[in-house]
Amino acid sequence: MSSVYVWKIGGPAGFGIMTTGPMFAKVLKASGYHVHGYPEYPSLIRGGYNCYQIAFGDTEVTAPYKKIDMYVALSDECFNREMFEEGTYVIGDFANLKNAGDIKAKKIDVPLMDIVKEMDGPDIMRNSVALGAAAALLGLDFALLEKNLMAAYKEKVAKINVDAAKKGYESVKERYSVVCKPSPDKCAPALYVTGNEATSIGAVAGGLTFFSTYPMTPASSILHYLAKCTREHGLVVKHTEDEISGINMAVGASFAGARAMTGTAGGGFSLMNEGLGLAAITEVPIVLAVSQRPGPATGMATWTEQGDLKYIINASQGEFIRAVYSPGSVEECYKFTFDALNLADKYHIPVFVLLDKFLSESHFMAEKMPETGEVNRGYIFEGNEEEPMAYFNRFTEKKDGVGVRVIPGTKGGLYIASSNEHTDEGFVSDKADVRKSQVERRFRKLKPLTDDMPHPELFGKKDAPLTFVCFGSVKMMLLEAMKHTDKFNFIHFPAVIPLNWDKVKKMLEGRNLCVMENNYTAQLRGIIAENTGIIIEKTFLKYDGRPFFNEEIVSFAEEAAK
Amino acid sequence: MKALDYNTGQKPVWCPGCGNFAIWNSIKKALAEAGVEPHRLALVSGIGCSGKMINHVRAYGFHGLHGRTMPVATGIRLANPDMKVLVNGGDGDGYGMGVGHFVHSMRRNVDLTYIVHNNKVYGLTTGQASPTNDVGSPSKSTPFGVVDEPLNPIAIAIDAGATYVARGFSGDSEQLAELILGGLNHNGFALIDVFQPCVTFGGKYQYEYYQERVVKIENHDVTDADAALKLSKTKDKLPIGLFYKAEGHPSYNEMHPEIEKAQVRKRDVTALLEELV
Repeated sequence: MSSVYVWKIGGPAGFGIMTTGPMFAKVLKASGYHVHGYPEYPSLIRGGYNCYQIAFGDTEVTAPYKKIDMYVALSDECFNREMFEEGTYVIGDFANLKNAGDIKAKKIDVPLMDIVKEMDGPDIMRNSVALGAAAALLGLDFALLEKNLMAAYKEKVAKINVDAAKKGYESVKERYSVVCKPSPDKCAPALYVTGNEATSIGAVAGGLTFFSTYPMTPASSILHYLAKCTREHGLVVKHTEDEISGINMAVGASFAGARAMTGTAGGGFSLMNEGLGLAAITEVPIVLAVSQRPGPATGMATWTEQGDLKYIINASQGEFIRAVYSPGSVEECYKFTFDALNLADKYHIPVFVLLDKFLSESHFMAEKMPETGEVNRGYIFEGNEEEPMAYFNRFTEKKDGVGVRVIPGTKGGLYIASSNEHTDEGFVSDKADVRKSQVERRFRKLKPLTDDMPHPELFGKKDAPLTFVCFGSVKMMLLEAMKHTDKFNFIHFPAVIPLNWDKVKKMLEGRNLCVMENNYTAQLRGIIAENTGIIIEKTFLKYDGRPFFNEEIVSFAEEAAK
Repeated sequence: MKALDYNTGQKPVWCPGCGNFAIWNSIKKALAEAGVEPHRLALVSGIGCSGKMINHVRAYGFHGLHGRTMPVATGIRLANPDMKVLVNGGDGDGYGMGVGHFVHSMRRNVDLTYIVHNNKVYGLTTGQASPTNDVGSPSKSTPFGVVDEPLNPIAIAIDAGATYVARGFSGDSEQLAELILGGLNHNGFALIDVFQPCVTFGGKYQYEYYQERVVKIENHDVTDADAALKLSKTKDKLPIGLFYKAEGHPSYNEMHPEIEKAQVRKRDVTALLEELV
């Protein structure tokens, strides 16, 4: 695994790691490398230990590694948290680092604080000095660092940071030679984008007009991104008093004609359960982006897991259909969010885009976002001028179980969206025949909906000795590991329900299967067993809040294939 | 429009003598007078006897969940500025379960009219004390008497930012209709708390109880928040009428200039993507 080089920066929260890391990744990208950025941080504003890993190389990189080739240590805490090998280069201000004495790594001593003091800058400027040093060691063109620093900061601050970086660059260049310069492939200019950004942009592209929620890691940045888009792109974004309000407000807006969405993590979704059922029985279209983190309750707020799949599929009382996309890449985040908005409008159902912290907050490179179809609002009643006061049979089947939607304000379209079981006009009814026919009509959507969902796909060589089965972001980790071993291929589920399970069954049969999930109970395995009768015995599960690191997958696959 | 035009033909299921009949009639009268066309009216209801109003007033209806009328109504108001929004809920719905949404909606000054059927009891679940029930009253859930202090919705509303705060009585449907009309014509959050006896489970809180205590608000400056707050805390009598009305506060929609541009259409996101290169 030599062509991938791993650079990492670590220090306490408040030291600017989360701006410095992505910025340096952009410098590497501009230098022609393929890059992947992975952040880890505790739920703290100051202190603790934040780090940002950049894996880069001359071909696509999509997942984090255990190994560290070059590390920027901003505090003593780094040496308690990271394991360094003899070959690791550690950039640090060693006069000010007490714990670094016995590390095996090669120390690159840069007087970060002396340089900052000399320039009369704020302490946080040491980051720029360190980046300069790293750029010199990696043989990067200083002009690219300068350009990205200028773009990252406001003009006045940017200038002094560039000067600081220059000092770091020169200080290293005088004393050390370039330690690693894998020849970059000069990849095309590409996006450097997180799953949450891609999801948000997919929503904007898809004509979203209303988003309401309460912030919760790791979904908060969807709220932040969309909030910035409101004025220019004409969408209403509300940070509500709680998640209950968030989903109910979105449901109200959607009823009134908006294209509405909410976004949260598992804990917030717990509060949204009743609103989910409300959307289902009123047949108000809604999209929910749910980003998973380890639970239950508060769990581990800033870490990753895939522990909410079964919950998402089963949440709320009663029986109703829903669609669950489980994107595995930023491209899929973008496309599926666009599609989810259409699907919700087409079938008048809740549609999920299921993310996790790893996908939501890690950075991936994408050449461009996929093509999408057109915005489609489904069947909409145009009105009846002759009888403006008339009630409308909103819940009478037009086709495939789907009724005709009415936007309030339309003449002759009066109806009630009721949380109670109801007649075709929406009046409350608990008559047996009404209940039966409404339930059956709503479930008639299932067949055509199934045909609209993306089907699981096989990646890798057809005849590999081992086939991993996964959903969501694990795809990115497996694509990375595939570069290092040919012992496995994998089947990825880009959506989990509804699916054509006969087709899924055929795809799974006759293979040496192993489910690979970021959870303890192998939830996808359970869903597959329930729908196909296939019980996958081998499991590769991780539930410590971390994604699968590349080395772990490679060694598991090689062991399992023996 | 005439009051009768708002009938839906659905037969009410309220108990004979229920205070909801008077509220129903007052709503229809006020709507007719305000000239609200049914297709321009969004009626939102919570759960409980009050929620059943949705079946009896000709309009676009949203019969939501217990305690959650306010966010639904806010979503409708923000997404569709052409609609007049009228909300019916009970005291359990709005002042119990939904009290958080109630307070936040008022601080937002959402442009809607909120009628709370306040009978101090949970009627549809057969007689538990609601948050407005007085200390000492027995109920199914408080057989030895309520010990929680009652919540004062009028005081909370004035303090939280509602810009039209009134109380009606279903024994005086004339005045109630006027108060609702005032709410419909008001640009901002209008709360109309209504004393409405539950004739089956309301215990001592029947028509006679209120008739002995209600007194019409007179000689009161409705623009004076402090005076309104003081009036809301009257102990021996129960004032009905308009407590408070603030003009000139922007309503929630006015604070959202993006609403005018909010249209469902495919958007070009090239510029957003370029920012990430």
